[in-house]
Amino acid sequence: MTMWLPLLGLLLGVSLGLLSDIQIPQIYSNYLSIAVLAALDTLFGGIRAHLQQIYDDKVFISGFFFNIALAAGLAFLGVHLGVDLYLAAVFAFGVRLFQNIAVIRRILLTKWSERSKVSDTKVQE
Amino acid sequence: MMKLAKKMSEEYKNRGRYILYSFVFLILGFIFAFSYRTLGKDSGETAESPTFQQEEQYREELIAQKERNKELADEIQTKQEEIRDFEKSFSENEDNHTVLVEEAKDLRLLLGVIPASGPGVRITLKDGDYDPVEQNPNDYIVHESHVLRVVNELKISGAQGIAINGQRISENSYIKCTGPVITIDGRTLPAPFVIEAVGDSDVLSSALNLGGGVVDGLVHDNIVVTLEQLKEIKLPALRDEA
Repeated sequence: MTMWLPLLGLLLGVSLGLLSDIQIPQIYSNYLSIAVLAALDTLFGGIRAHLQQIYDDKVFISGFFFNIALAAGLAFLGVHLGVDLYLAAVFAFGVRLFQNIAVIRRILLTKWSERSKVSDTKVQE
Repeated sequence: MMKLAKKMSEEYKNRGRYILYSFVFLILGFIFAFSYRTLGKDSGETAESPTFQQEEQYREELIAQKERNKELADEIQTKQEEIRDFEKSFSENEDNHTVLVEEAKDLRLLLGVIPASGPGVRITLKDGDYDPVEQNPNDYIVHESHVLRVVNELKISGAQGIAINGQRISENSYIKCTGPVITIDGRTLPAPFVIEAVGDSDVLSSALNLGGGVVDGLVHDNIVVTLEQLKEIKLPALRDEA
């Protein structure tokens, strides 16, 4: 029962986001895109850590919120300083996202090839 | 007992983890959906800056207004023609009023509200050819003063209607210098200037060709002047669109 709670949360979040009537000014759209990137980055980082068996709840949860807040804060600071700091955040998160996905892919590939090897040997036996 | 407690705490821990996950996913979903709704939808419209949009809007309004002006000018013209036709038929019925109708016609010609046609002259003022000796291009291009001189001479010698580049001149018209072009009643016209006048073509052309007169002065200012006498010239009615 509790296993479906995260899915329920996701559905609730999506519906809230789609139904909410809040309009944000165009200037702050950068923060939002950064928040999206940060969330995606942390999510894939978590999956990677889980696959590498170094996953930790505290790191994941704190990283999720801290990264979003940090990215938005950095972008905010950049807007007020006149420097496009959000580009730095986009760059950093983008690179990390790709790296994480690449690592996940490799781990999955190794697992899959190992499994097929095992089944092959079984067939041979 | 210990085992049970441990299992309980494990289960409790797991439940807490799922609750945390659901919270994380809630925020994740919210951010995704929200950014999809706010950024994905209107990215096409907001690609242009608001000032540009405003400018575009003003331009469209101006165009609409100009079109409306054009329609109204056309309407005025057709109305004037109707009145003229009415007066014609009226004069046919009652001979006494012929004089009055003729006077009205003359006055309208003067005002430029109806198209004029008849014998007349056509004067073309062209910029002089590029002359390397002349340092200042102002010395061989047509200025508004030249046009004014011709128009004044034509008016003095009894032209009934005058048009410059197809733009009818009325009593209230103004001719203004605006850089390389001239503005007549709010419409900019470039060189060469074709000035057409309806009237006694002999009188008009000889008035312009007087020794030391207008044409001589223009030629002295390095302007290419061509003067033609025509049997039939058609002038459009005054269009006050600007």
